[in-house]
Amino acid sequence: MKIAVLSGKGGTGKTTVTSNFAVNIKHSIGIDSDVEEPNLHIFMDMKNSASEPVYTLYPSIDKELCNLCGKCGDFCNYHAILPAKNQVIIFRESCHDCGGCKLVCPNGAITYKKREIGKIFKGRSKYNTELHYGLLNIGEMSGVKIIDQLKKYSDLDGKTIFIDSPPGTSCATVAAVEDVDYAVIVSEPTPFGVSDMKMVVEMLREMKIPLGLIINKAGLGDEEIYHYCEDENIEILGEIPFDKKIAELYADGKIFSDSLPEYQDFFSDIYKKIAEGRRSL
Amino acid sequence: MKISICSKKEGLDSLIDERFGRTENFTIIDMDTMIVETIENTAKNEASGAGGEAVKLISKYNVDIAVVPHLGPKAEKAMEAFEIKTVSQEDYKTVGEVLEAYKSGKLKEITKKKGLTRL
Repeated sequence: MKIAVLSGKGGTGKTTVTSNFAVNIKHSIGIDSDVEEPNLHIFMDMKNSASEPVYTLYPSIDKELCNLCGKCGDFCNYHAILPAKNQVIIFRESCHDCGGCKLVCPNGAITYKKREIGKIFKGRSKYNTELHYGLLNIGEMSGVKIIDQLKKYSDLDGKTIFIDSPPGTSCATVAAVEDVDYAVIVSEPTPFGVSDMKMVVEMLREMKIPLGLIINKAGLGDEEIYHYCEDENIEILGEIPFDKKIAELYADGKIFSDSLPEYQDFFSDIYKKIAEGRRSL
Repeated sequence: MKISICSKKEGLDSLIDERFGRTENFTIIDMDTMIVETIENTAKNEASGAGGEAVKLISKYNVDIAVVPHLGPKAEKAMEAFEIKTVSQEDYKTVGEVLEAYKSGKLKEITKKKGLTRL
């Protein structure tokens, strides 16, 4: 079973929730798909990680065959390829590796070269949970390839995968939640939290992914989130209070249910709720 | 010889635009006939790569010289590939003022900056 943890807004507690799930649910794998700034491995205290490079392709023009017809440039939505006076310029970092320019080239002048855009790290946390995370190289525009590769599991083997998603509703977030069985939204009960959460709900409903909400920092803000969930028929799976102790543990880079054992059941109960709901589907 | 100037509206009285790739319009002046033509910058709403597309657009109008504000690295590379010379628009207010300044040789040619190699 694959569960994505996401939020509309950064800093609402995705990593907190993901790490607490991964530690308290047996046979789980934690995946940090926020490849621009992964931090799950820091909280989970990852050991012995091994890395592997992730590549993407970009076009290369054979000047002998190219007659500067301009079809590749007209086709490319990302303007990664620009036929000019006597040459074709390639903006490698803008290329999304869709393969379209090669298809539209009538002269067969386009081939592809590969280049590294980042890495994937695999290892285990000190809690013995399997952990994978990606890291996008600085200056790169899209981490979607890394996220796709992160999500290629050879064998699920009855394990539960928790995916820490990138914030917002970008291409990267869509890639992270694609094909998951369930999405846990983490939101704080503030006007900004609710406003950004609405976009995530819309995205998930469009993608037909079942969802539930964990309210983090409950007690902060106002009542709007409760009214919104009632109107939209969104299940509130649980609430984590706005508590100084939890904040201190987070600031120390610790997983709070590890030090506050009363929360261990909180996460395993939510997991059971999700798993049972899935069975009844 | 044709010269293009980034402009907010049409004609010589228009204010200049401080952006290149996302400028509203390009006012193109044929220096031999003094015919003034304003074209809409169709690249301005692109999510990315507006600079390069804008260069492609003005190249279709056979522009030889572009008066520009700060150029991004992609637009800079595209100008070179389309063989369009670039001069800095300085702090002038209107298209007409920029044109006069160009005629009297007050606008500096932009030389390629070193260090902007990552494309």
